[in-house]
Amino acid sequence: MLDWTFLPLTLNQIISPQTIAYALAALGLTVHFGYSGLLNFGQAGFMSVGAYFFAITATRFGFPLWASVLAALVGSTAFAFLLGIPTLRLRADYLSIVTIAAAEIIRYTVQTPNLTALTGGSDGINGSEAGFEAINPIPDRVYKIGVQPYTNDDLWVIIVGWVLVGAAALFVWQLMRSPWGRIVKGIREDEDAVRALGKNVYSFKMQALIIGGVLGTLGAIINILPTSLQPDNYGTQTTFFLWTIMLLGGATTVLGPIIGAIIFWVVLSLSDGFIAVLSTANIVPLSQVQQGPVRFIIVGVALMLLVVFRPQGIFGKKKEAYFSA
Amino acid sequence: MPDPTPETTDSETTGTVSTGTVTDASPIVAEPIRPGVPKVDPILIADGVVRHFGGNVAVDVAHVEVPRGKITALIGPNGAGKTTFFNLLTGFDKPNSGAWTFQGHSLAGVPPHKVARRGMVRTFQLTKSLGLLSVLENMRLGATKQLGERFIPSLMPFLWSAQEKAITEKAMELLARFKLDAKADDYAASLSGGQRKLLEMARALMSDPTLVMLDEPMAGVNPALTQSLLGHILNLKREGMTVLFVEHDMHMVQTIADWVIVMAEGKVVAEGYPREVMGDPAVIDAYLGAHHDTDLGTLTGQLAVAEEVGVSGDLIEQIEGEIEAEPNLAAEPANESAVELEEEEAPGGASVDEPEEGEK
Amino acid sequence: MHATRQRPFPRAAALLAAAFAAALALALTPAAAHAATTPIDPSTAKESILVRTLDNSSPPAKPLPNIPVEISGDGYDVTTATDAKGQIEVGVPEPGDYTVTIDTSKVPSGLALPPALKASRTVTVDTGNKQVLANYIFVSASAAQQSSRPSSGATSGPSSSSTSESPSSSSSGSKFSRQIWPSIVTGLVFGLLLALASIGVSLIYGTTGLNNFAHGELVTFGGLMAYTFTRLVPLPGPVAILIALVLGGVMGYVQDLAIWRPLRRKRVALIPLMIVSIGLSLALRYLFQIIYGPGSLVMPQDSSAALSIGPVHLTGANLWAAIICIVALLLVAFLLTRTNIGKATRAVSDNRALAAASGIDVERVIRIVWTAGGALAGLGGALLAYYQTVQWNSGSLILLAIFAAVTLGGLGTTYGALVGSLVIGLFINVSAIWLPANLKFVAALIVMIVILLVRPQGILGKRDRIG
Repeated sequence: MLDWTFLPLTLNQIISPQTIAYALAALGLTVHFGYSGLLNFGQAGFMSVGAYFFAITATRFGFPLWASVLAALVGSTAFAFLLGIPTLRLRADYLSIVTIAAAEIIRYTVQTPNLTALTGGSDGINGSEAGFEAINPIPDRVYKIGVQPYTNDDLWVIIVGWVLVGAAALFVWQLMRSPWGRIVKGIREDEDAVRALGKNVYSFKMQALIIGGVLGTLGAIINILPTSLQPDNYGTQTTFFLWTIMLLGGATTVLGPIIGAIIFWVVLSLSDGFIAVLSTANIVPLSQVQQGPVRFIIVGVALMLLVVFRPQGIFGKKKEAYFSA
Repeated sequence: MPDPTPETTDSETTGTVSTGTVTDASPIVAEPIRPGVPKVDPILIADGVVRHFGGNVAVDVAHVEVPRGKITALIGPNGAGKTTFFNLLTGFDKPNSGAWTFQGHSLAGVPPHKVARRGMVRTFQLTKSLGLLSVLENMRLGATKQLGERFIPSLMPFLWSAQEKAITEKAMELLARFKLDAKADDYAASLSGGQRKLLEMARALMSDPTLVMLDEPMAGVNPALTQSLLGHILNLKREGMTVLFVEHDMHMVQTIADWVIVMAEGKVVAEGYPREVMGDPAVIDAYLGAHHDTDLGTLTGQLAVAEEVGVSGDLIEQIEGEIEAEPNLAAEPANESAVELEEEEAPGGASVDEPEEGEK
Repeated sequence: MHATRQRPFPRAAALLAAAFAAALALALTPAAAHAATTPIDPSTAKESILVRTLDNSSPPAKPLPNIPVEISGDGYDVTTATDAKGQIEVGVPEPGDYTVTIDTSKVPSGLALPPALKASRTVTVDTGNKQVLANYIFVSASAAQQSSRPSSGATSGPSSSSTSESPSSSSSGSKFSRQIWPSIVTGLVFGLLLALASIGVSLIYGTTGLNNFAHGELVTFGGLMAYTFTRLVPLPGPVAILIALVLGGVMGYVQDLAIWRPLRRKRVALIPLMIVSIGLSLALRYLFQIIYGPGSLVMPQDSSAALSIGPVHLTGANLWAAIICIVALLLVAFLLTRTNIGKATRAVSDNRALAAASGIDVERVIRIVWTAGGALAGLGGALLAYYQTVQWNSGSLILLAIFAAVTLGGLGTTYGALVGSLVIGLFINVSAIWLPANLKFVAALIVMIVILLVRPQGILGKRDRIG
């Protein structure tokens, strides 16, 4: 007998904090890649830097919520400078290598035994949500959406998260229809042309790197609030998930990454569920351990197919997918 | 190969204030003409600008001055270093040594965007119209000192909507002048090659430049458009701008240039009024002599074919790059070993943003 | 709910800067003192000790689980216990002498160590040695007694003091030289292994412009093939390595045929190609995990030193790896400089359009480069499997080191890739003397970033022309 109870639960992925987090981070990636042409392969690094600054200041130094958020933003801005200064004057592929490397540096560094007192080592950091939950106005009882029960704190994260997504989308939308957006869109196509018109290309690329990184950081904060900060959640696979999400929705759109995140997580949890069901029923010959990797294979193949056959994503215009074939 | 020292050129016969082909009254030079001759009213002065690529000297300009308010043509055979010189002057490339001033202020080491802000605006050999922006957006991009380009104000449209409106009006005016107004809302990618050249020039004018530097404005332009393009360039002068352009089309040089500077193998080998320069043996030699031992014909032929079949712009750019890079081959035979050495390093710098050309 | 508030720090900015600086400084300053009791994950450690406790009272030997084990030395001290298989691998912070002590009181009664085996003993770990064995084979107490008779008076009880047979009392100066030379040698070996992969990356980049993020999977593939053909289909090591090389080449060829060639024909631009390579890397990596499982796979090998010069001990496997690498690299250099196809490859790298215009079959060159790149990566992966271990993601773990090497040498320059690989290999190994094991790549990556700041075109690269 096949167990289909996972089906209604996958719908809750639509609003889950994880979806929110990835929507925000993918929106940041859209600012980087889709609009400015920056090949950031280390968005997970921006997420983890922000998350650590938030969690460390909140739990180790007892910062109030606003100060922790501010610390996270300062942290990811500093990270953007650190990465941008050596690479933004160079060819685009250098940025890709340096960002992917930097994200891994962060992941290795925070797990160093010497820093355990600060970063919690491989176990990460628990309890950074205290300040956030202290200002939760929702009455403390169990709420049900679909078949899934939510505590008031769960709901609080989700509500704040989606408000943040909405605000971020508006922000990016306004930015990209302003003269500022015109410049970065020019840069993604031909930065020499923009330079020849008297624009300080380096400065605009840096601004774009910071803005996208800050959006990634906000996503990471939403991600750790309902659970905890786990360093290995910010490996290269996270970055590649974000790329898939962005390309799925459309790299040069504002709504693309948001809808992309929703579709991505619903499909992923659906596929996880199906594979679990099918292998329990011995239809697919996969052991428990072998089921985990399947989702990554799906993402990998989806990424390849998307970029080749539908580079503009679901919402983008073919003409605007600047790297289209 | 004759040594192009100033004394051997016989242009000095033209004497001082020769009327020649000057199209306006004010004199350009007050001394006997020779390569590097001082101008009466120079806007741009370059001294000892040298640029090597590996062991090959691409540019080695001892002294040159560009007259203000005139149209100056920079000519020379392929690989003479004209585009590299442009790149150096505008900050897109850094010389190994040298100094140059624009309106009396040094520009050496100034980054390209600041060069442009000082009123020295350039176009590129291969048009850099931004295909994914509309024609109008391309034009707006050219305007300077836009408040909405700053991050915080960009989020508050009311701060810059009036300025944007003014910019749009100016852009539409220019577009109308260049007969592109009907295309204002189309993606620039949909324009023809010639229209893109026009767009790039119009966009450069959005910043009200003092000196306009055009790198092969006629290349790839359909003959029907050539005439209007010439008119536009003459108009720039009429409006008080100085024009410096690189061109291969001698007809065009004869028609509109007030002054001609000839480069060969990185050096300025001759200067003068168009008619005199064209007959200068040093110039003829530079054109014919420098390349008798290389397959210039093949390379340029290749380019023509590439354009005909509609190969991607990148490829054309690459081929043109090769032509520019020809001094490597044209230089002394002693350089062979140097070339060999470089080959062994198998550099991958070329072909960065270009897919495999595949079969047609 | 309120968190226990500590003193809020007033100058947030200063603190943040300090935290950032601390993270960086950590990577740059010698971290001499290791946290005394934090165990080191053996999968990331460069050196480890494998303790095995076995019950051999009635052969075959059965594992003895849950025997407490203490490993100490050089300020490092961990206490753990053997697992269900009667063994435990413990990472150690650096090469040196460690005292391994087991608590025999937890051993079932009736069992004892033969007198030749001490409950507490000194184990010498050389640079790069993983799973240095410390065997405790228990026999029945009576058998232990019997064998003890001739050598009189050996106790089999628990001994808390670390009685070392060969006390290592060396000054800190000689300790440093004891560490640095082995590190340099293993670093060079690792650098040569990296070079096998980097040259493929560099050639592919040079000829096609693609930064191949899926190159690590070619390396993993080689390692897994070596494992398959030594362990699952028991063949001699050299044969398995040869098979890995050939299959690596086939993999490269097939990959080009099935994916890259059609995409080139479709004239897909470079950035999407790069993203395709990322997707491919993700898919292949996890496919490997499904097939070979998530654990690390150990090659059959002998960790005794085949060559000892002063403090440097090279195992046979490492010695052979170095020799094979050097031969392979010389062969590549010969092919590139002396044969037509090599010259054609360099011509294509130098300028594809010009090469095509002068009659070189660019597609053929690219096909050969993919095949050769795959073969080199397969060889590198197989040797790497011997050098350390192999697992589903071992290629992607060194991908960044490969990229660092290639960037360091200058993207697309073949000799640059070799030089860069040696530098990175050295850096990773030598920095491990001071840095914790999980930061060993950090130093290399920081070097790469610094090089980009100073000389963006890499050590051997040339500056691009503009316009």
